[in-house]
Amino acid sequence: MTREELILQVIIFSLGFFFAFVYYVRVSEPIDLQAVSQQLFAYLTAMLTAAFAIGMINLTRVHWINIKRKRATWKFSVILIASLYGMAIVSLISSPFALDPQAAVIPQGVINLFNPIFDFLYYKVLVTINSSIFSLLAFFIASAAYRAFKARSLESTILLLAGLLVVIGQAPVADVAWPGFATIRDWILAYPNTAGQRGILIGAALGILAFSVRRMIRYPWGR
Amino acid sequence: MIELIEGRIAQLILLIIVLAAIYEVTRIARGRKMKTRGIPGLERLDGWIKQAGTLDRSVFFTPGTGAVTYPDTLAALALLEYVAERCVEQNVKLIVGNADLNVQQVAEDIVKTAYTKAGKAKEYNPDIVRFISGRQFAFAAGVMGILRREKPAVNIFVGDFSAEALAIAEAGRSDAIAQFGGTTNVDQLPFFMATCDLTLIGEELFTAQGYLKNDPDTISTYVGPDAGKIIAILLILVGAILVTFGNQILVSLLDL
Repeated sequence: MTREELILQVIIFSLGFFFAFVYYVRVSEPIDLQAVSQQLFAYLTAMLTAAFAIGMINLTRVHWINIKRKRATWKFSVILIASLYGMAIVSLISSPFALDPQAAVIPQGVINLFNPIFDFLYYKVLVTINSSIFSLLAFFIASAAYRAFKARSLESTILLLAGLLVVIGQAPVADVAWPGFATIRDWILAYPNTAGQRGILIGAALGILAFSVRRMIRYPWGR
Repeated sequence: MIELIEGRIAQLILLIIVLAAIYEVTRIARGRKMKTRGIPGLERLDGWIKQAGTLDRSVFFTPGTGAVTYPDTLAALALLEYVAERCVEQNVKLIVGNADLNVQQVAEDIVKTAYTKAGKAKEYNPDIVRFISGRQFAFAAGVMGILRREKPAVNIFVGDFSAEALAIAEAGRSDAIAQFGGTTNVDQLPFFMATCDLTLIGEELFTAQGYLKNDPDTISTYVGPDAGKIIAILLILVGAILVTFGNQILVSLLDL
C-alpha cells in the first residue's frame, strides 16, 4: 500500500466509522455529531451536483468524436448534442430552475417566447418518450414470462403452477369463478414468496455488511 | 451528552455480535484452502470474454442506475475491475455505460488503471466509459441502443437496477447476446433469472470478484457472513417458536 493509498484508507475508515457511530449513538455535547453528520451529507450532495458537468463533458466528447469521424451512427449523435444543449438553454431561460425567473437581466419577452417551447419539449416530448419506454415493459414482461413459464423440470413446473395461480387470482374474473383463487394467491404471496425474498435479503444484508467492513479496513490488505 | 438512540440498541448489539462472528470465522478460515459451493457458470465469464475477442465483438458492462454509495454498485465496480483486466489482457473492446456521474468517474478510473497496469495506457480512449443518462428510461433506451447498434458479444449488467433492467435484458436477449446479470433487488431478480444466461443472486454479487480471482484470502472473508446467517436462522427459529406460544420477549428485545 502506498502512502497516498494509506491516507485515503484512513479517511475511508474514519468516515465509515463516524457515520455508523452517529447512526446508533446521539452525541449532543460538546459537539453535536448528528448536526456534523447532516452537514457532511450536505457537502456530499453539493459534490454530487458538481459532478454534473462531467456527464455533459463526457457525452459531448463521445458524440463529438462520432460526428468528427463520421461513424455509422453520427446522425444520432448530432440529434443528441442538439437535444442536450437545446434543452439546457431552454431550461436555463424558462423552467422551474430558470436562471432569471424575475426577468432582471433576460427580457420578459424572451422568457415568454421560451415558455411554450419548454412546455412542449418537456411535457410533449420528454415525458411522452419516457412513458413510451416504460410502457414497453408490459411486452417485455410477457415475453420474459413466456420463456420462464415452461415446464422443463420439477422446479420450473412448480414455478409455472405458482405463477398461474397468482395470475388467475389477480384476474377480476377469478372472484366470480371461485373465491378460493384469491385466497391461494394471497397465501403464495404472503408465505412462500415472502420467505424466499427474505432469505435472499438476509443473505444480501450480511454480504453487504462483510463487503462494507472489507472496504473500510481493506482486507485482504492491499487488494 | 452521549446516549444510545432508542429503537437502534438491539440493532447495535446484533451488529456487534454478527461482526465478532464474521471476524472470528474469517480469522479461522484465513490461509486455509476453503471448499466453496461454487457459483454455477461463473467460470464461463472468462470464456465469454475470450470468445468476444475471437468474434471481434465487444463486451458491454453496466453497474446499473444506483449511486456510488450503494453496496450493489460498489460490488459491480469491483467486478468491473476484473472484467476490464481480462478485456485489456485479451484485446477485447470494452464498453461501460453509466447512469450516475460519480459512478462514471470511478468506472473511468478503474478502466484506465486496467490499461495502465497492462502497459497499454495509450490504447485507452474516452469512448470506452460512457455516461448515458441520469434518467432511468433514457438510460435504458441508451443501453438498448448500444446493444442493438454495437452488437456486443457479452452483456454484463450487475449492480443496482429497477424497472430498466428488464428493458435492457430483453434487448440483449432479442439480439442473442450472452447475458450476465446480478442484483440484490428481489423485485428485479425474477426478470434477471428469466432473461440472463447467468445470474448472481443477492450475496453472490459481493463474492464474484474474489471467486473469479480464486484468491484464498479473499474467499476466506466470504465464510464470515455464514456465521451471521447461522445467528439469523437461530433468531428466526427461536422467535417463531416463542411467538407461536404467545411469548413476545424476543420481539420486545429486538424493538429496543
